[in-house]
Amino acid sequence: MTFLRRTTLGTMAAALAFSLAGFSAQAQTKLRVFSGGQNQRPDLMRKLFDQYQAANPGITIDIETGGATSELQRQYLSTVLNAKDSAIDIYMIDIVNPAQYFGAGWLEPLDTYVGPAATALKPYLPVYASANVVDGKVAALPAFADAMFMYYRKDLLAKHGIAEPKTWDELSAAAKKIQATEGNANLQGLSIQGAPIEGAVCTFLLPYWGQGKEFNDAAGRLTLDKPAAVKGLGTWLGMVDAGVIKKNVAEVKTPDTVNEFKAGQAVFAINWGFAWDRFKDDADSQVKGKVGVMPLPAMAGGRSATCVGGWQWAVSAFSKHKAEAAKLVKHLASPASSKFLAVEGSLLPTYAEVYTDADVNRQAPWFKDAAAVVVAGKSRPLSKDYGQVSDIIRTTTSAILARTKTPAEGVDETEGRLRRVMR
Amino acid sequence: MSAVTGSRVAGQGLWSGPGLRLIAAGLVVFNGFFPALWILFTSLKPESELVKKPITWWPQAPSLANYVQAFTDQPLGRYLLNSAIVATLSTLLSLFVSALAAYAIARLNLRYRQAVLTTIVASSMFPLVTLLVPIFETMRALGLLNTYTALVLPYTVLNLPVCTLVLVSFFQSIPRDLENAAMIDGCTRLGALWHVVVPLAAPGVFTAGLLAFVNAWDEFLLALSLNAGATMRTVPVGIALYQGEFTFPWPIISAALIVALVPMALLIAAFQERVVGGLTQGGLKG
Amino acid sequence: MADRLPLLDRLRDPSERTLGLLLLAPAFVLLALIVVYPIGRLLWNSFFDLRLSGGGGAKFVGLDNYALVLTDQDFWNATANTLLITVITVPGALIVGLGLALLANLPFKRRWPVRLALLLPWALPLSFAGLIFAWFFHTEYGVVNDVLIRLGLEDRRDPTMWLLKPGWAMAAICLTIIWKTSSFMALILLAGLQMIPRSLYEAAEVDGATPWQQFWQVTVPMLMPSIVVALIFRTITALQTFDIPYTMTKGGPGHATQTLAMLIHATTIDYLDLGYGSTLAVCMFVMSLAVTAVYLRHIGRQAQ
Repeated sequence: MTFLRRTTLGTMAAALAFSLAGFSAQAQTKLRVFSGGQNQRPDLMRKLFDQYQAANPGITIDIETGGATSELQRQYLSTVLNAKDSAIDIYMIDIVNPAQYFGAGWLEPLDTYVGPAATALKPYLPVYASANVVDGKVAALPAFADAMFMYYRKDLLAKHGIAEPKTWDELSAAAKKIQATEGNANLQGLSIQGAPIEGAVCTFLLPYWGQGKEFNDAAGRLTLDKPAAVKGLGTWLGMVDAGVIKKNVAEVKTPDTVNEFKAGQAVFAINWGFAWDRFKDDADSQVKGKVGVMPLPAMAGGRSATCVGGWQWAVSAFSKHKAEAAKLVKHLASPASSKFLAVEGSLLPTYAEVYTDADVNRQAPWFKDAAAVVVAGKSRPLSKDYGQVSDIIRTTTSAILARTKTPAEGVDETEGRLRRVMR
Repeated sequence: MSAVTGSRVAGQGLWSGPGLRLIAAGLVVFNGFFPALWILFTSLKPESELVKKPITWWPQAPSLANYVQAFTDQPLGRYLLNSAIVATLSTLLSLFVSALAAYAIARLNLRYRQAVLTTIVASSMFPLVTLLVPIFETMRALGLLNTYTALVLPYTVLNLPVCTLVLVSFFQSIPRDLENAAMIDGCTRLGALWHVVVPLAAPGVFTAGLLAFVNAWDEFLLALSLNAGATMRTVPVGIALYQGEFTFPWPIISAALIVALVPMALLIAAFQERVVGGLTQGGLKG
Repeated sequence: MADRLPLLDRLRDPSERTLGLLLLAPAFVLLALIVVYPIGRLLWNSFFDLRLSGGGGAKFVGLDNYALVLTDQDFWNATANTLLITVITVPGALIVGLGLALLANLPFKRRWPVRLALLLPWALPLSFAGLIFAWFFHTEYGVVNDVLIRLGLEDRRDPTMWLLKPGWAMAAICLTIIWKTSSFMALILLAGLQMIPRSLYEAAEVDGATPWQQFWQVTVPMLMPSIVVALIFRTITALQTFDIPYTMTKGGPGHATQTLAMLIHATTIDYLDLGYGSTLAVCMFVMSLAVTAVYLRHIGRQAQ
């Protein structure tokens, strides 16, 4: 080639190289993710983000921690999102929040990025098809699942020759028998949460659902069966009177149940999925190797039901990078990510098939038992006013368990207040 | 207070005996220290010890593990620095601004001074939770989110009512003759303020300063909303983040609380002499 | 104009009016920057039906929100609780604070432990003070029951559930608030005590007054300005009581210990009902202003 042609080609090649480099540098997008506190495993999420960054060189992802509890998260988000702040692109929110946050206009509908609701949420566990779909739009995608399990002392039940109780009455009888024979004044029969925390909503719903009753219809209208609710709460109080549940149950919060069961002070305990690892692995656990997990008992003539929890990924309606954020969310809610979280952190999967995956079962064999529980789980009322609904239910339930109201009074009050909210 | 002659203290002869004084000291010390001691003991225990029945007071096997974890779980040192900077700056600014305003209200013959005082105090009558969003928007518009200024300015405003009112009441109790004397000697009014009034009102100034500092140090809502970034967080927000959705690690939180209390305790111990110092005894001839 | 000095001269030796404006300017600039817009927004929002759950659109409703407040059971319950707490903890903190200040004022060989003990309760963050005292009053793990059981005053098998009974819960909350705020009062009163000239006591003693008479004739009158200041802020913060009941009982059992500030917090943050939340906040402001107007006029009169 002539000198001129070589120079021209060389210059063009250099220009092309520089512009390509410049182009990818300009396309660098920074996504900020608000991902809760310790219990939402930001360390594992960081690993997922690093993998994604490696596969997508134009994206960097920063984690913002700060929503250590649902309360703190709500406090922070209600300030920031009310001010329509665009600083954060992706939020990890509790399963009860999509309806309220989407209704408030804080979440971007993901339909354009992941497809219409009917198809987008089909692969996941059925409960998410209702919890994450608001007004027919996809409000969020699941990150990991959770449910309330019945943990119990395998060793004590075996020692006294008792089979896994299938109804609440059987459980109460079994607990009483074990308590009487063990003769340990500090041994509780059953530990549940009665403090006015979010978990108290589940405390209200478990015996209610256990009778086969529904709390609201598909349109969100209240369908409370008052006598059933009274009977359900009466079941708890009956166990308190029988000495199976302790008298100050209205003071018990989630960590209290875990700590007491771990110290060997309870025969049965209802708690979320994270507790399994605490019982199995904690250095100070007195119950290592002695814990079993089973579906929640049913009420006589009813069916077993549990409360589903878990966290969801949602894109902020005020984000400046919605497309990239939605793409990341889709990846984070994929079967591969679900398997990663299950294997690395024992976080319950959101896909039915991951529960039976060989690798997952090697790491967390108890997932086989857990699967049945989670798949059959029900979600708490889906309402745009969930903040108020939850407040009403948990406050009255706690008051009933503290015996400052009778179940009948409490249920009446609950119904009256809810009617004004859930029309 | 200057040296006491004999055992009778002005106006408090009732407690003159050393025995009664010891009981008095014991009561005050118990009242103040008991919860702090409880937290100290808790910080030396593992979490499992907290559900033992009957409860234990002194830790069975004291260990500093919780302190180590408090610093590794979160950058507690950084939080302490942030809190110290924000609290110090807002206290100094508060004292300066409120000293000027208090002097105007206490000394100058302004017709509208009652309205001014009421307005300043009235600004503290709204619950902060309802003012959060607009304050957030203001700070965002000024580009100040996640900076020290974002907290210093609101904290100064939050402390303005207390500082102003305390200083007004202290300035009022100082007789005017002293300033007039200074001004006859050639001082301007502002000069009289800084050279005569403020030193004489020193107990009030240090009191207002301590109150402002503690208020700023312990403030939570604004710090949570405005300075959410991990490197700019203050201590109360940081301590709240040790908990999780399902966990409340009292031992670690206790360790963090003790760590947070120590600088405040040192500050109080250093300045308590100034708060109650007998600097005034000489200047006032009653 | 012959009597208008050039600006620089006016600044160097200003008239009272100019000086007043200059001295008050920094305070008002700060107030304008930080709180004027928020308070204005608050007042504005209180006339709208602004519920985010409904999609966010604001509907002007005039005084409807205020009419709703009048019929709201929760509002009256919360207000009653708030006023109860105020009536108990304001005088309570004053008496305890005055006692602590007088005790701390005694001559001790080493004064710093007493002074430090005086101020530590104030230094403990409010929300953690609530959590700690909630723990003290816990049925099973609390110090209070532990001590009572050891003293034989309670049965180990049936301990009192302090925070689960409305009356006891309110008492526990008030005790915690008094514990925390008495040190705030003591701090202000202690500084005030220091400003009382010794000569007044000496003169009273010469006149034959007993220590008790000296207290009422010298200490209390001279301390009055500090007392009023302390009372103003104690009252304002008592009406805004939030952290301690929130962390101790969350307003429970039921709504027995829910204060107005907790109701406002729930309405604004949990229910996302900004219009009604603003209305409640304005009501709280009016209450605070009414109660403290009396105090403030006293201070204003003092300034003559």
